[in-house]
Parts: sequence; structure tokens; C-alpha cells
Amino acid sequence: MDKKTRDDLLKLFQSKLNEAMRFYLETCTRCGVCTEACHVHASMGQVRYIAAYRSEIVRRLYKKYFKGRGKFWPSVGEAKELSEIALDELFDAAYSCTGCRRCMVYCPFGIDTQQLMSIAKLLLIGANTEPEILTLLADTSIEKGKSLELFKEGFLEGIKRLEADVLEKWQTEAGTTAIPVDVEGADLLYVALAGAHSIIPAAAVFNAAGENWALSFFEAVNFGAFVGDPTKTKLILDRIVNEAKRLKIKEVCICECGTAYRVMKQLAGKQPFKVSAITEVHARYLKEGRIKVDKSKLNGAVTYHDPCQIARNAGVIDEPRYILQHLTDNFRELTDDPRYNWCCGGGGGLVAMGEDTLDFRMKSSKVKVDQVKATGANILATACENCHTQLSNLNDHYDMGVNVQFLSSLVADALVR
Amino acid sequence: MSDEIQVIKVFDLKGLACPMPVVKVSKGIKEVEVGQVIEAQTTDPGSLSDFPAWAKTSGNEIVKTEQEDKLIKFYIKRLV
Amino acid sequence: METLYYIILVPMVYVAFGVFFIGTAIRLIKIFREPKHPTTLQIFPEKKPKWLWALSDTFLLPTVRKHKPVLWVFLILFHVGILLLIIGHLELFGEFEIFQIIPHEVFLGKGFVGLIVSISLLYLLFRRFKSPVRELSVPEDYYLLVLLFLIVIFGSQMDWARRWYEYGELDVEHYRMYLSSLLHFQPELPYEITDTGHSFMLVLHVFFANLFLMFFPFSQSMHSFLSLPMNKLRRGFVYGQENT
Repeated sequence: MDKKTRDDLLKLFQSKLNEAMRFYLETCTRCGVCTEACHVHASMGQVRYIAAYRSEIVRRLYKKYFKGRGKFWPSVGEAKELSEIALDELFDAAYSCTGCRRCMVYCPFGIDTQQLMSIAKLLLIGANTEPEILTLLADTSIEKGKSLELFKEGFLEGIKRLEADVLEKWQTEAGTTAIPVDVEGADLLYVALAGAHSIIPAAAVFNAAGENWALSFFEAVNFGAFVGDPTKTKLILDRIVNEAKRLKIKEVCICECGTAYRVMKQLAGKQPFKVSAITEVHARYLKEGRIKVDKSKLNGAVTYHDPCQIARNAGVIDEPRYILQHLTDNFRELTDDPRYNWCCGGGGGLVAMGEDTLDFRMKSSKVKVDQVKATGANILATACENCHTQLSNLNDHYDMGVNVQFLSSLVADALVR
Repeated sequence: MSDEIQVIKVFDLKGLACPMPVVKVSKGIKEVEVGQVIEAQTTDPGSLSDFPAWAKTSGNEIVKTEQEDKLIKFYIKRLV
Repeated sequence: METLYYIILVPMVYVAFGVFFIGTAIRLIKIFREPKHPTTLQIFPEKKPKWLWALSDTFLLPTVRKHKPVLWVFLILFHVGILLLIIGHLELFGEFEIFQIIPHEVFLGKGFVGLIVSISLLYLLFRRFKSPVRELSVPEDYYLLVLLFLIVIFGSQMDWARRWYEYGELDVEHYRMYLSSLLHFQPELPYEITDTGHSFMLVLHVFFANLFLMFFPFSQSMHSFLSLPMNKLRRGFVYGQENT
């Protein structure tokens, strides 16, 4: 690696050094309490998948270039030069970490491995060695924000074609639009994903609740966050923020997508609208009696997988359980303490990387499979597209024989007048 | 109309989860030569804005889009 | 030999404390002046009041107790022991009424504090020889533990000699004389400090302590200051927001 490249990369490193990051880089005592925290380590056993080891990959570079010690006595902390090999190690650490932050629950100091891995991800972008597909997806999202007018018509036409499916689930009064788009003054803006499965059930529930809502032009997911590019993350987020402001929306409701929810909820800053997960909105409808559901629609035992970015990392924990109480009498928890739920193994962009990561995702999530099996449930509900894909892959791979379902679909299917 | 476009490969992307349609088409386009056309079939309305944006970003061209009921067909020419 | 003793017991002590205080202060100022993290780093579910839970996380190490109970026992013994030893050393400067709430003879703990800390240090050191902590550890981790062990063992020897082997040459008064002379920048080395049977232990104790103090600000030992602010982040403190 030439000097110019290294200097540029170190500038990127420097740009991530805020107070919290310094805490995380200075503090680890390598006590090893986090050993059992990572699902990858728990499933595969290699030491390099222990949180402290992953973090140390980043920390070694910090010790080399951002601590005086790196010049005088590098060996005391095994400080390491930023080289091609170091980049390979950064890739291995960052893209085997799903950013679930389960290790943060174990650490006596609360070191945030996801934050440290974001340094690794940024360096990989700087070196053009990040997963290409994630950058392409992020750029595509940004492009959509830029040239909305070009795609608007086709999109609206496609949405129209879904309306019959929505009405099949919930018949609205004649004259109302089943999927309203671009409605100024709507109370709630629903930000979905590209797939019909993310729009139809949600629309049916909004209509059943008599919500004054509108569907966003944009998809909720933030690939900028997956690839760890702060600028792109912000651009992708801003598309939705601007749309919500333009339409004078009161509440932005994010579909079942963990990253999208956490980024919108925690990164958007102070906005004139509130941010909710669709799970929170559904729980509220049930509480206020705006929708009613029928318990007889679900047969068998149901368990619920808390998506890391929605539960442990954003606090939506009671709401899905409240919903499930209305859907079934046979609910079984995966863990007694939601902080300790195992990650599905698909976060951090791994699922979005598709088949390239499939083998790793299957091997690294053995503990998740065991956890689900132990409940004996035959319906596995979740509230995140990523988790849903990964859990479905696991279901096929390990022949788990469960029915993986979106919580919002369960609600839509159980709607009664 | 589609008879005029010579489709080399057809990709069935119906009902896939986010962001698989774009991921698969990005990979799929590399399986044909520059100048050749692939057909991607989806059922997701979001793809109607995702695919054009993807084409612009990746530097490929959507030569034609067809919607028949819920099925959406994109004819994509590999340019790079 | 006399010169060497003098260097270790006087100028080196000044240098060590200088490096320790100034180094720690500069490093902490540098860290705390960095821009704050703009978003929450909280782990849910939330428990209130946040500050109380952050304190509990910092000082009671509940996650260690849950996942590594044996380690927890030794960590608590070690940290509480260190605290008692610091109090013991303060009492070597002069009398502090507040420490005499529980009346005791200086040096407090009847020698057992040093013993417990030594054993804890051996545990902390030897557990690093075993996988996977072995693979995680870097030389710094061993150096610190070895250094602390040497400090504690030589320091405790003096206490043990006096308490358990009826060794009579040691007296608190001499230490008070020596240490307060250092404090007032009029260094004085009483005969009993430099020229008695236990002097070499004292010199070694001070020598290793000096090394430790000089390494402290640049090592992971800084966790003593950073643990609480980090735990506050985990409990949901966000800069510029009301945090209850």
C-alpha cells in the first residue's frame, strides 16, 4: 500500500474518532467476558469471531497511528501497520459481524462492536474493497431520490395494480383509495420496501383502522448504513425526511425493516414528525380498539424473533408481545430476557449480499436454529425483512419445519370487523 | 413487441424479498455479453422505480418495461 | 547503591507522579473534548433512573457476575482491595479522620488486603494463559498484571513482616516522615527507610509502582476513568438531551 492511500485511509479513520469511539478504542481490557456473546463464535467456535478479537483488529491500527505508543512501543499493544493484509482482516471482522450488539450486553464497559466495525467498513470503502453490491444498492437508492419524477408514473401504475389484493384483505368503502400515495396532510406516512408483501398487509391494516395515511415513494431500507457510509446513509434518509416534510406528515411509520427503523428513529435528529415502527402502530390500533383480530386464525404455538435493530437496539419489545397476545393463546418466548435473543445471523448487510454469504450465514447461525427448535413452536414470527429472509433460509437449510411469518401479515390475516 | 428484442436469459424474480431482485439482476447481467438483453420478471411494484434507478447507477439500459396484471417484465441491455 | 536508592525513592517518584497526573489529565481532556456521539448508543429495555443503573454497571459489574461468576469474585476482590490499599497509602501521609470511621491500625487490613489482591492478580494473570483469553490478550495486559503483582507483593511483604513475623524495624512514623517530605518538596530519607533489613523491598515496591504510574495514562488502565461514561452511553445518556 502506498503512502498516499494509507494517509487517505487514516483520514477516514480520524473522521470516525468522536468521544464514544475513543472510549471504545482506549478501554478494552480483553477480559473475554464477551466470548459467549457472538452467535458466530457460539456456532463456529473460532476465536476470531469473539467480539474483543474483532474490535482488536481495528484497535491495533488505532494503537499504531493514533496513540503516541504506536511510535515508541508498538509491540506492547501489538499495534499493526495498515496494509493490504490488515484490510483483509478488517473485511473478515466487519462482514462476519451482523452489528446485533449482543456483545454490548456482556461487556462490563459496554463497548459497541458495531461502532468499531463501522470504522472497518469505512476504511474498506476508502480502499474500494467493500462489498460492491452494497454500494450499488446504496447508490440506486440515492439515484431514486434524485430522479423521482422519472419513475413516479410507473411506480403509481404498479401500486394501482396491488389495490385489488388490499381490498381482498379488507374491503374499504367505495370511493376511498386502497393505497393512497402522495397525499398532502396525511397523518401517517408508511415507508415500505419494494416488495408487494411489505405493502399489501400493511395497507389493509391501515384501512381497517381508518388511518389517514399515505404510502411513501421510497423504500425504507438504508443500504448506506449496511455498507457503513455516513454520507450515503444521510442522503438515503433525507429522501424520506423531505417527503414527510413536503406532505406535512405527523408520523412516519417504518415497515418491518430493522435497519430502516433504527436509522430513521435514531439518526434523523429532531423532526416535525414522530417515527414509529409498524409494530408500534399495530399495537396502538389494538389498544385503542381501532382494529380487531380473531385468535382462531392462528393454529399452533407461536414464537417471536426480536429483530436486533428494533428490540435490543431501539426498544420495541413490549409492542410485538402485546400484538401476539391478541393473536394467540399459545405464545412462547425465545429467551427470558430480550437482550439475550440470538441474532438471526443476517444483519449488517449479510442478507443483502445474497448467495455470496449464504454458506457463512447458515454455519454462523446454528445457535439461532437451536433456540427456535427449543420452543417447539411451529410459527416463527418476526418484524424485519432481513430477519425474515435469513430465518427462511435457515428453515430450509436446517429443515426446521417452522412457518416463518411477518408479524404484520399475521395481523392483517386475522383482521375482523 | 418482445419478439423484436432478442432475450438471451430470463430471470424469475417474482415475490423475492428486499433487495434480492436488484441483487440478482446485478449478478445476472454479468452472465451475458455487452449488448445482449436479459428479461427480469417481478411482481413487486417497488421494482418499477428500483430498476430504472439501478440501471442508471450501474450504467445499463432498460430497453422496455411491460406490465401485465401483476407481472412486471423488464428488458435490460447490458452496456458495461 | 545509596545513589540508586535515592534516585528511585526521590526523583523517580516525582517523575512518575508527574507523568501519571499530567499524562492522565491530558489524555482525558483530549478524549472528552472530542465531538460527542450524535445519536443514542443505548441498549434496551430501558431502566430508570439511568444514572443509577450506569453506576451499578460500572461498580458492581453485573454482566461479569452473570456470565463469569468466578472472574467476578476475583475482579471485585481485586478492585476493592486496590481501593483499600490506596486508602492505606493515604494514611501513610498522615491521619485522615474519615478513614477511621472503622477504627484500625495503619496499615489497614492486617496484611490480608495485600494477600487477597496478590491472589486475585495471580488468578487474573493465569486465566490469560488459557484459551480464548490467551488469544485475545496483548503484551500490555500481561505487563500490567505482572507489574501490579510485583508492586503488591513487595509492598505487602513489609506489612506481613511487621504483622506476622514480629519484625520491629518498620514504623508508620518513618513513612509519614518520608512521604510528607516528598509532598512538601523537601525530600528527606530517614535512616529507617534506606538502611534497614526491609529497605530493598521498599525500593523495589516503589520502583515498580513508579513504572506502573508512568505507564498508566497510556494503557488500558484508563478504564478506571472511562468505564462510567461508557456505561452511561449504554444506559442511554445522549449528550445535549435530558437524561433521567
